[in-house]
Amino acid sequence: MKKNKTDIELLSAYIDGELSPAEKKYIEDKIKSSLELQKELSDLKKLKELTSSSVDLIPESPFFETRLFANLNAKSQSKFNIKKWIPISSLTLVTLALMAVLKFNPNLLDNLIKEQQSNLVGFYKENLQPLLYAADLTNEDIFNFAVYQELPLDKTNNQILKLGYDPKGSEFFEIKKANQINDADNLKKFVTALNFDENEIKNIDSIIGSYSEQISALVLVNDKNAMAINPNIWNTRKLILADILAFAEKHASYDFNKMMPTQVMKLDDHSVAKWVNEAKAMKDNQYIFCTSDSIFKEDFVFDMTEYEKNLEEMTENLAELNEQKAVLREYHFKIDTNVSKQKKNLNWTKQFEVSVDSNLIKVSIQNFVVDIPEMDLPNFDSIAIVIHEATQNIQSVRPPSPPMTVGNNSYNYEYKTGPKKKTKTDINLDSLMNIKNMQNSKIRIEQKESEKKGSKENSIQFFYGDSLIIMQNQELKKEMDKLRKELQKFREDFQDPQQKNNDTIKKDSSSDVEIIEI
Amino acid sequence: MDYEQKENMQQPKILSLDDDFSLIKQFIDGDELVFSELLKRHKDKVRNIIYLTLSNTDGVDDIAQEVFITVYRHLKNFRFESQFTTWLYRITINKCKDHLRKKNIRSIFLPLKDEEPVFESINEDTDIKHIVRNAIATLPDKLRIPLVLKDLEGFSYQEIADTMECEIGTVKSRIFRAREALKKILKPLEKELML
Repeated sequence: MKKNKTDIELLSAYIDGELSPAEKKYIEDKIKSSLELQKELSDLKKLKELTSSSVDLIPESPFFETRLFANLNAKSQSKFNIKKWIPISSLTLVTLALMAVLKFNPNLLDNLIKEQQSNLVGFYKENLQPLLYAADLTNEDIFNFAVYQELPLDKTNNQILKLGYDPKGSEFFEIKKANQINDADNLKKFVTALNFDENEIKNIDSIIGSYSEQISALVLVNDKNAMAINPNIWNTRKLILADILAFAEKHASYDFNKMMPTQVMKLDDHSVAKWVNEAKAMKDNQYIFCTSDSIFKEDFVFDMTEYEKNLEEMTENLAELNEQKAVLREYHFKIDTNVSKQKKNLNWTKQFEVSVDSNLIKVSIQNFVVDIPEMDLPNFDSIAIVIHEATQNIQSVRPPSPPMTVGNNSYNYEYKTGPKKKTKTDINLDSLMNIKNMQNSKIRIEQKESEKKGSKENSIQFFYGDSLIIMQNQELKKEMDKLRKELQKFREDFQDPQQKNNDTIKKDSSSDVEIIEI
Repeated sequence: MDYEQKENMQQPKILSLDDDFSLIKQFIDGDELVFSELLKRHKDKVRNIIYLTLSNTDGVDDIAQEVFITVYRHLKNFRFESQFTTWLYRITINKCKDHLRKKNIRSIFLPLKDEEPVFESINEDTDIKHIVRNAIATLPDKLRIPLVLKDLEGFSYQEIADTMECEIGTVKSRIFRAREALKKILKPLEKELML
C-alpha cells in the first residue's frame, strides 16, 4: 500500500512533468502493467484540468499604478517623518543614561549643587570691604543709624539699609530707597538741644567715631552688588545709642531729663562700659549675605587688622571706586516668580522671609537660622520719635508766631480788661508741646510716686514706657481740657460785667416791684 | 575563490535590454521611471497569485500595493542571485501569508460560522468552476499555495520551492497531498464533475 502511495505521488509529479528521466521511465513501466495506476493517472489528469480551468483571471484594476505611486510618495514622506523622531529617541537615550548614572551615583546632583553654591558664595565673598569706607559714612550717618536705624548704602541713589523689629520681635532689615531725605544735622540738633559746650561736642564726636570701626566690620559691601551684614549689628546699634544717651545724661542731665522717658535714666557709664566689652568679646563670624540674586548665611571672617594694612592701597582705589559708585552699588533684586508656584512642591527650609517690592527688599530673620547675640540692652524702639520731637522743639523756641487757629473756627481773643489781662493769647500746639516739656520733671515726679504706689495702670504705662507718645497724648488731652476750662472761664468772665449790671437792674426793678406790690 | 564567485553573481549575464535585470540595473543607476515598466510586466501575475492564494478578491489590490512598495524600497539591494520573479513572488506569497495569519487571528474574535460552507455551496451551485474554486479554498495554506502556483500559474517545482523557501521534495509531496485532499472533497460530486 505504501509502495502504491509512492507510485501515486510519482504519478502526480509525472503529470506535472517534474520527474527525472529514470523516474519517468520507472513510472511509465508501472503504468503499463497496472490498471489501477492507469485509472489513477486518468483521475489526476482530469483533476489538474479542473483546477487549471477553475479560476478566471482577476479583473483589471485601472487605477492600480496611480494608487501605487501615490502610496510610494506618501511612504517616502513618512520615511522622512521617522527622522523627526531621531532627536526624541536620542533625548530618551540621554535621559536613560542620566538615570543610570544617578542610580549608581545618587549624590552627583547634590554635590554639583553644593559645588555651584560654594562657587557662588566665593564669588560674592570677593573684595568685601567695609561700608564705612565705601559709602563715606560720617558721624552724622552713624548717629542717624543709632537713632533712626537707617544706614545709607548709596547716597547717590538714596538707598538705605533699615534695621528693625517686626511685631513678633524678630529682627528684619530692609534695603530700600529712602522715602524722604532725613532732616540734615540731626546730630547737631541733638547737641544743640542738650546745650553741649565745645568739649562735650568733641567728646560725643569721638564716642560716635569710635564705633565707626565696629560698624565697618559689621556691614561689608563689594563691587558685585553683594552686601554682608553681621547679625550683631542690631546690638551694636543699641549700644551706640546707649552710649550716646549715657553721655548725654551725664553731661546735660537737666535738658536730657526733659526729653527722655524715665526708663532711659537707668543708663550709666558702668552698664554701658559693660555692654561695650560684651559686644567686643563677641566674635560672630556669621554674616547674612544679601546679593542681587540670593540671600544666604555664611561663615566669613573679616580681618579688620589685615584690612587696615591694605587700607592705603584701598584708599588709592577708593577714588576710582567712588567714581563707579553710582553704578556699582545700586541694589537690584531679581524676583523669580516660579518659586511661588513651586512652593508647594519644594521641601525647603524656611531660612529668611523675604518680601520684595520694586524699590524695597525686606528680609526677616528667623531666630533659629541666624543666632543674633543676645545682650541685655534697653529697648529703644521709639527713642527716635522722642529725640526727633525733642530736637524739633528746639527749633520751635522762637519769637511768638503769628496767631493760629484752633479747631474749625478761628478764635483770636483780644481783651484788655479782667484779672487775666494779657494783651494777646496765641494757641500754638508747638508751644503746648513746649509747655509739656517744661513740665516733664513734674510729670516724672508724679510717675515716680505712682510707681511707688504700684498701681496696675501705671505699671502698664511703664511697661510700655518707651512709647512716650501715648503719655504725651494723655498729657496733651489734660492740657487741652485745662485750656478749655480756662477759655470757658474767660468767656464767663467776659460776659460777667454785663450780666452783673443786668442782675443789679433786675434786682432793683424786682425790688421795686416788690415794693410796689407790697 | 569566494570573491570571484561573488563577482560573477553580481554581474549576471544580461540577455536583452528589456529583461528584468536590465530594468533593475537602470533603476539602481537612478532611473526610477523604469519601475513602472517592471510594474506593468508583473502586476497582473502578482494580483492573480494573491487572488488564488487568498481564494477571494477581497484585499487583493491592497496586498499587491504592499508587494510593489516593498519591491520599490528594496530593489536597489537586489543581488541578482535569482530570477526577479522568484524574488517578487516570494514577497507576494509572504505578504499573502501575513494577511492570512492576521485574518485567522481576527477570526478567533468573530462569531462562529457554519462548519462546512463548501458543501452547502456545492449543493446549491452547479457551476463547476465555482465548485472547484471553493474546494481549493478549503485546503490548508501550505497545500493550496503550491497547488495553485503549479496548476494555475504554471510554476515549476523549483520555482515553487524558491518562492516558498522550501525543498523541492516538499513541494512535490505537498502538491500530491493537495490533489489527494481535493479528490476527497470532490468525491460526492464525482459524476457531475466527470471525475
